[in-house]
Amino acid sequence: MIVLSAAVVAIVFAAGTFLLLQRDLFRIVAGILTISNAATLFIIASGLSRGQAPILPLDSGPVSDPVSQALALTALVIGFAVAALLLVMVYRLYLSHHSLDAQAIQTSERRSAALQRREGDPYVEEVPEEEIDEDPGEAQEREVTTP
Amino acid sequence: MTGINLPAPLLISLPLAIPWIAGAILALLDGRKRGPKWFAVGALALGFLALLNLALVVVTSGPVSIVAGGWPHGIGIALRADSLGVVFAVVSVGVMLAALIYESITGVYWRTFPAVLLLGAGGLVGVFLTSDAFNFYVFFEIAMTSAFVLTGYREADRQVRGAFLFAIVNLLGSTLFLIAIVSLYTMTGTLDMLLIAQYTSQMDVASLIAIATLVFAAFSLKLGLFPFHFWLPTVYIGSHPSVAAILSGALANIGAYGLLRFGGSIFNEVLAFAAPVLIALGAISLVYGALQAVSRRGVSEVLAYSAIGQAGYIMLAIGIGGPVGFLAAATYAVINSLNKGVLFLTSSLQGAVAGAAFAIGAFSVAGIPPMAGFLGKMTVFQALAQLPPGQSAVLIGLVVLGSAMSILYMFQTYQRRFLAQEGELAVSSAWTHSIPALVLAALLLTFGFWPEPLIQASSAAGAAVGLEVANWP
Repeated sequence: MIVLSAAVVAIVFAAGTFLLLQRDLFRIVAGILTISNAATLFIIASGLSRGQAPILPLDSGPVSDPVSQALALTALVIGFAVAALLLVMVYRLYLSHHSLDAQAIQTSERRSAALQRREGDPYVEEVPEEEIDEDPGEAQEREVTTP
Repeated sequence: MTGINLPAPLLISLPLAIPWIAGAILALLDGRKRGPKWFAVGALALGFLALLNLALVVVTSGPVSIVAGGWPHGIGIALRADSLGVVFAVVSVGVMLAALIYESITGVYWRTFPAVLLLGAGGLVGVFLTSDAFNFYVFFEIAMTSAFVLTGYREADRQVRGAFLFAIVNLLGSTLFLIAIVSLYTMTGTLDMLLIAQYTSQMDVASLIAIATLVFAAFSLKLGLFPFHFWLPTVYIGSHPSVAAILSGALANIGAYGLLRFGGSIFNEVLAFAAPVLIALGAISLVYGALQAVSRRGVSEVLAYSAIGQAGYIMLAIGIGGPVGFLAAATYAVINSLNKGVLFLTSSLQGAVAGAAFAIGAFSVAGIPPMAGFLGKMTVFQALAQLPPGQSAVLIGLVVLGSAMSILYMFQTYQRRFLAQEGELAVSSAWTHSIPALVLAALLLTFGFWPEPLIQASSAAGAAVGLEVANWP
């Protein structure tokens, strides 16, 4: 049983890591959620026992550990809140870039920073150096070549 | 000064409850309006005063602890304020207060900004005052979730992308931390950090080293130490000055505190075993951060890479360990928070007043005598002197090199930012915008000229790291 649960946790964690390394933002979110579910599985596996209720029974029999179940529940709730937040961020990025590809978002961001600089927008906060060096014309050309 | 000695439950729960309740109320109000904005400042200031009082009580007369629900110690969930926790809490909430005042003066952009900041401050205080390992994780997540939201403040595309990256990387870190805590629970059967420390002190290094590595990775990620620093520049460069001040002046403290708390008590022997690796990582981080900072031009870029270098000093001190090492780490972390607060809060201002505050922060980062930064560097040197002569000579050489480079990059930045170029019109920002930074800068000067309170607090903090097991009743 221990080997089996260890193997399940390992596979879920590995699948999450694979998704995390993708370029699509939605897959990245799915990856981090899968990894946090691997952690939840790990918590449950750490208090795993068969057939007993996790509360103190009236007759003195064996009980499951209630603490690890409480920990798993808390971790799930936190995971839920964070998932909602991450999806909102992805949606916000999609609204302004019409893309979910991390690379495309970076390119489109540089282009708009360069454009803002050219128009002399006073509200541009400090723009990182690599973006200042970017020539707006060049950025636009690159956009044309990118499919 | 001894502080007002209230009953323990009130003493320890006020600093937690005030920001939380105020944050919950503020969530319903429009934080951009004058009333709610200054209500938030008032509430956080009140919470800060309660925390300061707790700190005075703890530093002068020992740790305060309560157990929730009247359960016996070791069964119920405990809050415990010791010198290490309160020192970090006071500094972190202080920097957050300065950032909130800065935002209130310059104009709040989001209606929820004050509410999120206050809820984050509540979570942060919880991290420093809890004595339960799982609650540490929960408070950590509360503080971090608020930080994820804050990083996107002002909603420039760059900031939202920074917030997304920040959230993903730090969630990975906290998942590792959660796994480590559950492993500790499985091994020891308790979640109380004092009891865990008692059990682990009798365990073999070999059985703890995997868990210790997870904890180390989780907190180094937060602190921005060298191999874990990759997210830091993108996030710090993108975020708004006040948010950057909160991230590097308050939230990065979770990393330093966690490394001290877990490394110094629970993984005491693993720390001694892994010392060469930690010292090497600290040294690499120090040199890498300084080299990168020298080669950058933008203020926030220089500060972001400088933060990686400063994390190296803290790691060096923790790696050396022992009372002197922990004292150095605590002192350096406190001063570093104040430095970063001053520098980030002035980073987008212009004019002589802001320039003066920035210069004080810059002097302090460089470790030039009348500023508190000198004190931090000195305690690190003291800790380094404990090593065998050969090693200590090499490391002192590296630290001196790092400091020399920090003088260089800080003054390059000052020159570019605050000395007007020929033919350029210098536009001063309103002097009121510099008030929070000026207060922090004044603190840096005060601690430089009168270091006793800081030294007293941080030596109490350094002692609390190692003595935790012995303090158990």
